[in-house]
Amino acid sequence: MIENSSSEPKIVKPKVPNTERISLMTKPRLILRSVLAVLGLVTIYSLVTIDMAGLKLKDAFHSLGLNLNAMFLHPNVGQDSWSVLLRGLSTSIALTLLTTLLGAVIAFFIAVFSARNLSPTWVANTLKAVMAFIRSIPTIIWVLIYSAVMGLGANAAVVGLTFHSIAYLVKAYSESIEETPQATIEALKASGVRFWPIIFQAILPSIVPALLSWTFIRFEINFANAVAVGAAAGADDIGYYLFMASGFYFDFHEVGLIVYLLLGFAIILELISMRLRGHYLKSN
Amino acid sequence: MLKVNQLDKTYGQDKHSLKSVSFTAQPGEVTAIIGPSGAGKTTILRSVNQLIRDDGGQILLDDQDIRQANKAELRKIRHHIGMIFQNYNLISPLTALENVLHGRLGAKSTLAGMFGLYSTAEKTEALALLTEVGLKDYAYQRCDQLSGGQQQRVGIARALMQHPKMILCDEPIASLDPKSTKIVMDILRQLAREKQLIILINLHQIDIAMDYADHIVGINDGAIVFEGPTEQVNEAVLQKIYRQSADAKVKVAANES
Repeated sequence: MIENSSSEPKIVKPKVPNTERISLMTKPRLILRSVLAVLGLVTIYSLVTIDMAGLKLKDAFHSLGLNLNAMFLHPNVGQDSWSVLLRGLSTSIALTLLTTLLGAVIAFFIAVFSARNLSPTWVANTLKAVMAFIRSIPTIIWVLIYSAVMGLGANAAVVGLTFHSIAYLVKAYSESIEETPQATIEALKASGVRFWPIIFQAILPSIVPALLSWTFIRFEINFANAVAVGAAAGADDIGYYLFMASGFYFDFHEVGLIVYLLLGFAIILELISMRLRGHYLKSN
Repeated sequence: MLKVNQLDKTYGQDKHSLKSVSFTAQPGEVTAIIGPSGAGKTTILRSVNQLIRDDGGQILLDDQDIRQANKAELRKIRHHIGMIFQNYNLISPLTALENVLHGRLGAKSTLAGMFGLYSTAEKTEALALLTEVGLKDYAYQRCDQLSGGQQQRVGIARALMQHPKMILCDEPIASLDPKSTKIVMDILRQLAREKQLIILINLHQIDIAMDYADHIVGINDGAIVFEGPTEQVNEAVLQKIYRQSADAKVKVAANES
């Protein structure tokens, strides 16, 4: 017999609420709105009081048009030759590949120790704090810091880019690791498997798609950084030529060509990443 | 033989505590632990391979006390205790074959384990075990494409790959439909008989326990209230095991019908 333990449910009439004022304005909402209002006021004030410095809008737009025309409709190699520019581009790509791969491998091992489900909390938290500190300083600053230590050039660029990549990827990887279900790890632990085999046989296969996509995003970021860093640290890559063409020779034709080269590579990257993910997801 | 002596466990606020739990499980037999939800079934099972550290007592597997083992010894003992789970706990992007091979990882050095280096003999054995549980055709399928019952059978094959003396089953059929339940339970009973394994199962379905177990351990609120052969389990015993629990009457009623 299945007994129904509770007796007949009673129907209780809801009390009619008092006619007190009901406010939807909670404290966080109030703060948000006042911040937005203040920002709006500041914007209006600065627009009204802006110093035009004798700017003639018509002339300005005219010369902007001329420059864009020179850059994007009449690109050419300018001072340098095709071979120099392509070598510069390949230097940038090599720089990107090297720093991303180095960063990925080192970051994976650090991520294992900064994942809360694998390491003692204090180790994980300390590592995460250090990585957050490194991340909070832009890549380019790290490259300049290392340039001060190692001298200008490709070495400082490699170390600086790798350094920041590690900090970035550790965060992404360790969060992926923390998302693997504890139960699957436990299943292998229960059969007497050691720590590193569990990492490589259980956790790694589960998070490969996440690792792939994070690493690829970092690859793109590193490419943009490599171009910027090339100019700053004199790594003799495409960024350096871009910097010289735009800042020294004012050769907008060459700037345009370099921008097209970068754009082309970015498109190729995007295609590869789409293929890679598509292939990976399909074959599994 | 598994002999558990006066096992105690307290979680913070007396939650799910075990009170001097003692029982034995024989090779060649299916031993079922039954009891209401929250009685401590899972705690007992997980203490046996020390996934949960208990507070006091003895757990003797072939006269070796698991609780006294150091880290390396514990790993060795665990390697000979298979375990299957309610949610199978397979590595889902890997194939069934790879998951079965994971049963050998515990016997490997760190490096061989990291890179998953298996001998031909091991691969042959894994495929043979998959054939034994009726999954030969699914060996190269990703585990997340298998049904629940199939995944549980992969789990059993993984446990067998460890060459176990004992298999612990933590609610192995709780997520399965009746047909898969029968397949899985048939396999487990057959393993006990043919390979003389100790099969220790947590169950909350009394009818399944009555059908398949040779030996029943009844637990209520962390204490053993019955231990004996399945034939001795009657209405009064079940009342004792499920007394004062919300779902007790429902379960007894279901069992009667």
